Amino acid sequence: MTSYIIRRFLQGIPLLLIISIILFALMMSTGDPVATMGGRRVTRASDYERLKRQLGLDKPIYTQYFYWLVGNTWTKVDLDGDGIAETPGTRLGILRGDFGNSLVNRKPVMQVIGERIPNTLILMLSGELIVIIGALVVGVYSALRQYSLLDHAVTTLSFIGYSMPIFFIALLLMFIFAVLFKRWGLPYLPTVGMFDPQVGKSIGQVLYHMVLPVISMSVVSLASYSRYIRSTMLDVLNQDYIRTARSKGLSNRTVIFVHALKNASLPIATIVGLDLPFLLGGAVVTERIFAWPGMGRLFLDHVSRADTPVVMGILMLVAVAVVVFQIITDVIYAWLDPRIRYD
Amino acid sequence: MSRKPVFYALFAFLVIASLVLSGCGGGKANVATLIFTQEFDNLAPLYSSMWFVWTTWQMFDHWAWEFNQNNEPFPRLVTEIPSVENGGVSEDGRVITMHLRDDIKWSDNVPMTAEDFIFTWEMAVSPQNTVATTYPYDMIETVEAPDPQTVVVTFTDPFAPWLANLWHGILPAHILRPIYDAEGTIDNADWLKNPSVGCGPYNFVEWESGSFARFVRNTNYWGTPAKIDEIFIRFVPDDASQVAALKAGDADMGTFISYSDVPALQDAGLNIVIEPSGYDEFMFFMVNEEKGHPALLDVRVRRAIAFAIDRDGINRDLHFGLTKTPASFWDALPYYNDPALQPYPYDPQEANRLLDEAGWIDSNGNGIRDKDGIELEISHATTIREDRQDVQAVIKQDLEEVGIKLDVNPVDDTLFFASYADNGPAARGEYDIQEWSDGPLFPDPDIYYWLCDQIPTDENPTGENWFYICDEELDRLIKLQSTQVDPAERRDTISQINQLFYDKVYIIGMWQDPDVYAVGSRLQNVKFSGVTMFYNIAEWELVK
Repeated sequence: MTSYIIRRFLQGIPLLLIISIILFALMMSTGDPVATMGGRRVTRASDYERLKRQLGLDKPIYTQYFYWLVGNTWTKVDLDGDGIAETPGTRLGILRGDFGNSLVNRKPVMQVIGERIPNTLILMLSGELIVIIGALVVGVYSALRQYSLLDHAVTTLSFIGYSMPIFFIALLLMFIFAVLFKRWGLPYLPTVGMFDPQVGKSIGQVLYHMVLPVISMSVVSLASYSRYIRSTMLDVLNQDYIRTARSKGLSNRTVIFVHALKNASLPIATIVGLDLPFLLGGAVVTERIFAWPGMGRLFLDHVSRADTPVVMGILMLVAVAVVVFQIITDVIYAWLDPRIRYD
Repeated sequence: MSRKPVFYALFAFLVIASLVLSGCGGGKANVATLIFTQEFDNLAPLYSSMWFVWTTWQMFDHWAWEFNQNNEPFPRLVTEIPSVENGGVSEDGRVITMHLRDDIKWSDNVPMTAEDFIFTWEMAVSPQNTVATTYPYDMIETVEAPDPQTVVVTFTDPFAPWLANLWHGILPAHILRPIYDAEGTIDNADWLKNPSVGCGPYNFVEWESGSFARFVRNTNYWGTPAKIDEIFIRFVPDDASQVAALKAGDADMGTFISYSDVPALQDAGLNIVIEPSGYDEFMFFMVNEEKGHPALLDVRVRRAIAFAIDRDGINRDLHFGLTKTPASFWDALPYYNDPALQPYPYDPQEANRLLDEAGWIDSNGNGIRDKDGIELEISHATTIREDRQDVQAVIKQDLEEVGIKLDVNPVDDTLFFASYADNGPAARGEYDIQEWSDGPLFPDPDIYYWLCDQIPTDENPTGENWFYICDEELDRLIKLQSTQVDPAERRDTISQINQLFYDKVYIIGMWQDPDVYAVGSRLQNVKFSGVTMFYNIAEWELVK
């Protein structure tokens, strides 16, 4: 197993390199970061040329990629535009841990991303936990009582939840539980942000402000996961070994939770394993609507300004997470299903 | 729990959560919460051209002079506005002499002097600093300080627009000069990210990325102390969320309100303030023999297009009557729009007559006018902003009714406004009509980029005349006004330019592009300028 894991990690290195080349080339074609730096006005032409030069955006794309990868400390750059490179480069490149500075706010990329990751993880992990637990309860319950009134009700609600776009659910919940509840004189939930400035930032305030975003982003996933679990549980419950387990006189609880659910979890582990790395990417729509300062909004804000260093930082972070979580998922496979061997 | 248990459970959870967690509320008062729909890119003066940033500077880092609700300048850090009459502006318009107040100081109690102004200029033009714009500091020859309270600015050439463009935020030399001397740049200075020392009524405290920025009353402020303890700016990018937050009372003020949200906010008891910003939405014609449709060389065709589009209808139906049709670049500056011009009215019959007179008729019966074998098919481009696309559809329909086919092209703004060197379509003049929001260097009337030598070419790729119009009379007048220090003389010149634009129909004004604010009932004594929104923030009050 250890050699398998090491082999997979080594295979991931050229994969990440190829991904970085493709993403960098795509980012270069998404727009011009200096074009919108003029505020309300089109960027003044002389400022445009100067900023392109100072930020290194006047170089060919392969040079920009090379500097992004390995830095430019071994060369000099022309900052004053006299055609003579006189200032030593200061970028170290991502291979030396320097993701560069944001073109929008000039902060180091890792600082920009680091400020947002905790906020995203708070939101996304809470949502994922609710989704997994809720989907297991609903899915297993529906499978055990197939075609019951409750199963039909859950099926109907699942389809409704699954077919509603998140922005609609989010705005609907915001309108009902924040605007209307307040209008009706009921205790109400907040609309936007992580805390009330009149009160200050505290755990209670953050929890209070998390309620609506977490519910909004959980509804769709809860609906789809619960359908999936119901389906896999139904498959497993009809297997011969379940009949054997029952005939051995095992309790219903043991049959369902030890024998059936463990086997039914195998495909679910795949989905969750694929989902987890994308939790780092945040929830673009939910974070935007609830003004939650997470990675999704960071990505959206900076991709719209063609801020290559920050966008590349986020995308590479997610790419690394995908590779790592894929390996973790494979390991979990082996734990869940003893028939799987990697050695 | 028998019929719809999940729904009931969800509902119950939300109600319980509301009840439990709303108890977390406390009682710190006197905090005004404002919503900004865009987050700052950078808070340091010189390092951003974003409107939200440079209006915020006034809160913690005053401008030398600011502009009131009538867009009139008033002295802030100086004792009086320099003018020819008080000797502050030289007869030739090259030298500006400013006298600083003797009581101004930074929030760390260090006196603010002419050295801070000199340092600000030096940093603006230093090639080692990646400032957002060097304008207008790169037009200055020297900045000198005969004494700590006097700043003498000498421009290379006479420069009339100095009042609207100089000294928007001052850099503290006592903090930044040692860094510049050591590193050769202030790009990495902590003050740029954390400008905690300022000279305004509030001190910057904290900016949490993507979430909020906090400013608290400056207890060392040299002027009259601010009345509100804290200004909390929350970044909410979604329009619908901003409206919900304002309706729920989670914010005291909203910015850049969509026209379509105004009625709902008024119904919710918010006060809507519409402030002309100096910007208007214009259609710019490509009047150039090498670029643009040949029909646009004929002023009768351009005038026919102005008559054919129901611009009042667009303002009435798409903007709920909250905007109006501008006749000129200077609609928001009445002083320079005198006598006030009236927009060409919606008159399709007159449009048809003019097109017929110009020889553009539908000779082949395909519904599109033509002349000498050329169809009257015109391309139109603007950004992908939603209301612009709605307007594009209306224009297309209106022009089809007079036999002009419009090819509409919505383009992402980062691509649309890319430079000539990067093959930006606007800079290359690829479309017959281009549309965006523009205006003079408000509150100054200057419009330098219409000059002939500003037309971009391979030899002059940084040219800013993206309209590719070279009009010798216009050229002469624009150059003249930029050197005139006498306001009355300059006004006469601007009026001539105004009339020239109108008669030759180089542009068509679509709508005035005002700033729309929603102010909650708690917030009192709020006044906005068309230039910025915080010029009287020290006087804002919160009532229960």
